[in-house]
Amino acid sequence: MDSQAYLPVPPGVGMEENFFSLDDILLSHERLSCRTECAFPRLGFLEKSGDTRDIAEGTKMELPLWLAKGLYERKRRVVSVEVPKVYREGWRTVFSADPTVVDLQKMGPYYYGLGSQMLHFDSPENPDVAQSLLQTFIGRFRRTMDSSQNAYNEDTSVLVERLDCLERALFRSGQSGLNGFQSWEKGRASHLTASTLVLNYRKRKMADTQP
Amino acid sequence: MPIVHNGAVTSCVFFAVSGNSYSAGTFISSTVGVPALTHSFCKQNNPAVQTMDPSEVEFLAEKEMVKIIPNFSLDKIYLIGGDLGPFNPGLPVDVPVWLALNLKQRQKCRIVPPEWMDVEKLEEIRELERKEDAFTPVPSPYYMELTKLLLNHASDNIPKADEIRTLVKDIWDTRIAKLRLSADSFISQQEAHAKLDNLTLMEINTTRTFLLDSLNCMYKLRSNLQPGSNKGKALDY
Repeated sequence: MDSQAYLPVPPGVGMEENFFSLDDILLSHERLSCRTECAFPRLGFLEKSGDTRDIAEGTKMELPLWLAKGLYERKRRVVSVEVPKVYREGWRTVFSADPTVVDLQKMGPYYYGLGSQMLHFDSPENPDVAQSLLQTFIGRFRRTMDSSQNAYNEDTSVLVERLDCLERALFRSGQSGLNGFQSWEKGRASHLTASTLVLNYRKRKMADTQP
Repeated sequence: MPIVHNGAVTSCVFFAVSGNSYSAGTFISSTVGVPALTHSFCKQNNPAVQTMDPSEVEFLAEKEMVKIIPNFSLDKIYLIGGDLGPFNPGLPVDVPVWLALNLKQRQKCRIVPPEWMDVEKLEEIRELERKEDAFTPVPSPYYMELTKLLLNHASDNIPKADEIRTLVKDIWDTRIAKLRLSADSFISQQEAHAKLDNLTLMEINTTRTFLLDSLNCMYKLRSNLQPGSNKGKALDY
């Protein structure tokens, strides 16, 4: 059984992020292609591709999600954000045809998280994107469930290869249920085991504390 | 393999106090292990859903009553959970499973298998379970746990133990497959609530984390559909 010495904070999944979630921190570094809607004077040094003093209006650049979210305002247009192509019409058609064939690890790996975050930026496609995220999740649910509840004591790397990070977390929780039951059935649950906290505990040595 | 005896503490306390013909010493020395709680405490690994360990479910199952035929005599004993006995050689008496197993391990009794633990009855249940779409009522809310406990520790008292084991496992597998099927249709139809009639604790327990986590995800993805509806509802960490 996988047990951890700390309690990881789960990702927020929806439009809200969890500040302490490692997944959400990684998600906030996803790059989005943006277009500046006004000139940024004296900030040309940030743009490595040109050596002008200012960033001109209409420059295309890639910004991480956290920066794009910070700069984006509905009233005062500073940047406009382009919807990544996984969430656009073409890919949405693919997802609605058969969500199970898509390799979300390659497309994402934060397909659901990033998709929900995209709803922060105004776009006429937003309702369709949200609908497509939900339908994709539902469509892929059966596969995630079956593979996580049937794979006992075998290599799961092939099974999780194409799963999004969110689905991987689900896969793990399914596995923990299965493993718990199997180890009980085999009579392994009645053996006492030491907590990982105790196993990982290192007593401070005198030598370490002295300067 | 020593069985972890959850009831050990209760029985120790009683016998130490009553000073019966069975001295406290024999009971304490024969009860092996520590109550299950101590070790499952170390295993809580998922903060979002505090799951129950299968051994904790087994712990609850050990409170079920089972008939035994003792080969010793003892007056009525008074425990916190209720009075047991009196025990007379050859006279059947109802005791909780933990005590039955303890006595059985020390060869102080013979366990009478529960009524439903019978090949013909279980075959009937299996057929019904396969025929029906919904979950059929099970003979005992702890059928899986009791089968395992009794068959592992008292298989010599249960006729056709192997067949019973296979039958119960068949019933379990059928029900789990059904559970998975209904979970899938629950998700794909985006239902808001479901009735889990006739499901046992162990069955719910194996799928709980997964189902709750998925429903959580689905809820959040669904609240994306109405922007602004989930503002301020985020969990605080």
